[in-house]
Amino acid sequence: MSPARISLVVTEVTELVPGVRGLALAATDGAPLPSYPPGAHLVLDVPAGDGRPRALANAYSLTGENVEPLEYRVSVLRCDPATGAAGGSAWVHALEVGDKVEAHPPRSLFAPVRHASRHLLVGAGIGITPLLSHLRSHARWGAEAELLYLCREGLGAHVEDLAALAGESVTVLHDRAAFTALLRERLRDQPLGTHLYTCGPTGFMDLVHLEAADAGWPAGRLHAEAFGTADLDPGEPFTVSVDGEELAVPAGVSLLEALEEAGHEVANLCRQGVCGECRVGVGPGSGPVLHRDLYLTDEDKAAGDCLMACVSRAEPTDDRPAHLEVIL
Amino acid sequence: MSPAPPAYTSVPVWTREPVVEEPDTAGLVHTVLQVGPDPAAAAVVADWCAVLAAAPPVRVLPHVCADAEEALRALAADLQDARVGHRVLVAGSARDCLAVRAAALRAGLTEEELTVGVTSVAVRDVWCVHCAATASAEVDLEGVVACPGCSRSLLVYPHVSRRSGAHLGFQVDAEQLPEPSGAAR
Repeated sequence: MSPARISLVVTEVTELVPGVRGLALAATDGAPLPSYPPGAHLVLDVPAGDGRPRALANAYSLTGENVEPLEYRVSVLRCDPATGAAGGSAWVHALEVGDKVEAHPPRSLFAPVRHASRHLLVGAGIGITPLLSHLRSHARWGAEAELLYLCREGLGAHVEDLAALAGESVTVLHDRAAFTALLRERLRDQPLGTHLYTCGPTGFMDLVHLEAADAGWPAGRLHAEAFGTADLDPGEPFTVSVDGEELAVPAGVSLLEALEEAGHEVANLCRQGVCGECRVGVGPGSGPVLHRDLYLTDEDKAAGDCLMACVSRAEPTDDRPAHLEVIL
Repeated sequence: MSPAPPAYTSVPVWTREPVVEEPDTAGLVHTVLQVGPDPAAAAVVADWCAVLAAAPPVRVLPHVCADAEEALRALAADLQDARVGHRVLVAGSARDCLAVRAAALRAGLTEEELTVGVTSVAVRDVWCVHCAATASAEVDLEGVVACPGCSRSLLVYPHVSRRSGAHLGFQVDAEQLPEPSGAAR
């Protein structure tokens, strides 16, 4: 079900800024790696163990050369497992040169719109990574681009790389109020034909979308790279019938995990409601679905015949408990 | 109206029957074009302007144009230095709305930034794939029209060009074998 893995070896680790590690990964045989569109990401297999109850698949934006690259480059912010992170980034930060890593080939959910006449890139914190990839492409092809980058002083990764690529089209800011004021101004002065791309924490992207809407930008011009569904609550327990079998899904366990633990194979990738891989069918015996993904459209959700198993759950009604009939 | 057949993916619904869309009041600047002297188009524009006047501060640039050519000139002038946040509203025949759509898209506008108020759908432009002439005639989708360039009978294929606003036309019997006539051809 899942696409073939590629085997990589760590060839370089650098600390870009405090807390952010740059990683270069080459094919184990040194051959050129598959090309990818700007803004694509690499999904690394993070093995279970060392405090991680199960294997993880962590997606990291590719920041380097995208055409027949000899290495993949990612920049990873360490999120502390002690404060609730799943542990994937801590694992990356423990990798050493020569370590072997398995990955899915690059996936693209955030490519530049090629017919746009200009690109406005707006990033915050580690969200700069896919935008660096965009800017690299725009510089190469001579496309008009402008980038606004909000980061803490001294902690912004790739500031020099951005300046080297696009000089005066890049503005780095360390103050949220000043950033918002500049964003407001720049949103009102983009030639017709401009598209906007944003990546950063959810609250930041919400701000960008709100300001853009205020400035009259329609949704079709706005493109966002989600980190994932921020801080989902553990949810209420519910029951599932699948292949004539009844499963209980406790709070804090996802439908995907429950299905896997019962021995069902479900294709999956990001496990955070973004990629669309773990879509499962829902039968007529189901109660209402609490959709919590970023993948399904409103029409998909209204049809009520599927859900994303990694984040979405069943909801109770007044007269019956939360229950799903899952069709695999 | 019957639902569009699956092949009609590029045929705007408002070229099959007159549709008047609502203005998008989220825009900051609105170019409003009335194409032709049809009172129906004037009424659509009046309704739109009333809605826009009631919306939060927006700038409205109204133009009453004698024909599509004049409308395209007004549009080009407005979009010359336009910024994202601009909207275009056009009232007139489907043919005129298609011409304005083509020019607006070329200038960088997106479909969702365009509002149409269609008053009639009778006349279509049909571009001949054989000689590249364009027929302009009262004809239905999948009807037949004579090409003004090469005189072939053109099937009005249900494909509308976003770039030109014309329908695709090709020889209606291009795939039929000639009648066997006994004599060698």
